[in-house]
Amino acid sequence: MEQLLTNSGFRPRETVDRIRRVFIDSLHLNLREEDLHYEDKLDESVGLDSVAVLDFVTALEKEFQITFEPEMLTIDLVRDLKELTAYVDERVARSVPDGRQ
Amino acid sequence: MEASNATVTAPPSSSATIPLVTLNDLLWLLYLYPVRWLGIFLPRWLLYGLGKLSNPILQFQFRRSKARAAVWIAQACHTTPEHARRVAGQSLSNTMFRRLDALLLLRPSSSKMLCCTAIDGLQHLEEAIARGKGVILLTGHFCANPVALRYLAAQGRSALSVLNQNPANRARGRFGKRFLQPRAVQLQKLANPDQVFVQDPDSALNVMRRLRANGLVFLQIDGRGGTAKVIEQVFLGVPWRIRSGIFEIVRLLDCAVVPTLCLGRSNGFRIRFDPMLPVARAASRETFVSANLPAFFSVVEKQIIEHPEEWRLWNRS
Repeated sequence: MEQLLTNSGFRPRETVDRIRRVFIDSLHLNLREEDLHYEDKLDESVGLDSVAVLDFVTALEKEFQITFEPEMLTIDLVRDLKELTAYVDERVARSVPDGRQ
Repeated sequence: MEASNATVTAPPSSSATIPLVTLNDLLWLLYLYPVRWLGIFLPRWLLYGLGKLSNPILQFQFRRSKARAAVWIAQACHTTPEHARRVAGQSLSNTMFRRLDALLLLRPSSSKMLCCTAIDGLQHLEEAIARGKGVILLTGHFCANPVALRYLAAQGRSALSVLNQNPANRARGRFGKRFLQPRAVQLQKLANPDQVFVQDPDSALNVMRRLRANGLVFLQIDGRGGTAKVIEQVFLGVPWRIRSGIFEIVRLLDCAVVPTLCLGRSNGFRIRFDPMLPVARAASRETFVSANLPAFFSVVEKQIIEHPEEWRLWNRS
């Protein structure tokens, strides 16, 4: 499956890494990617400032050239890295034919 | 109010000893139970009559706080001590009537009871909506905000309010904090369901959803900072710690900002929309705050100085 996705231009592994990188950059976290406990850090950041999640989502949109659908703008999606990756991949895939959402 | 004075910091922790029950708690208990039930069936004139009767008691009970507030009002609004004392008394009275209006909003027929005498500057709101990126209605904590919001919703212009679920209140005891405050929040939510709390992890995403749908978001910029990142700034002549979130929302979502002022009571109130605030663009959060904070603050300062008696200075002075 991964091979198929890779051949078609989609690389789930890469997506996760990019999301983690965007997360670190957008929230100005001073840590290395391998040290990142995504969910804990997200909860910590959002607990301190709920607008932090806005920084992260808009940075994701910019990075992947996508737009989140309104109904998908939920903390549950953002908190679950696996689901978030799948969603980002799906949005990127949809944007490929015409180059934009 | 220089922008260069603004800094984003984390709030200090409070370790002051809080009494179990305070007078403020007892007043809230009275309000949340017997008065609330009376509010279901009593006509407005009678409810307001009870409010007028209890007003001298409240004025006497809070005389010391009023005296402290008057000193600050005189300084902030550049007025005489005599006028400042009157303003403090009126503000206390308006705060009480605001609570009574909140009970009226719980009624199914409340929309029919709201008497809006004027809406000024509607063209400014229309112009902002025409931009297509959502509109933030920027204001301070004025007593008429809840009735005005309910009226706007009934007119098809529902605005999402962003509120503090646990505002700082030194007059509240442990009983008030643990038992009464959650019930007061429930009551507030019943009166106006279209609201989110800054403490909700979903709140910023809810705001984003509303603005992306080109909707309205009602933000009171003069709230004291809580657990979130805050900006330290001089506001109305005193140091103030406000949440910095509004600036990040405007920067990231490019929404319009329309100063909005709501004055009066449910039996006669008016709403004023001012021209859109020009927003200076900036790449970073800090630069954006520095560039826009003076304009955002001065518009709300002006509203308060013009109508200090309508502002909820009670828990803020």
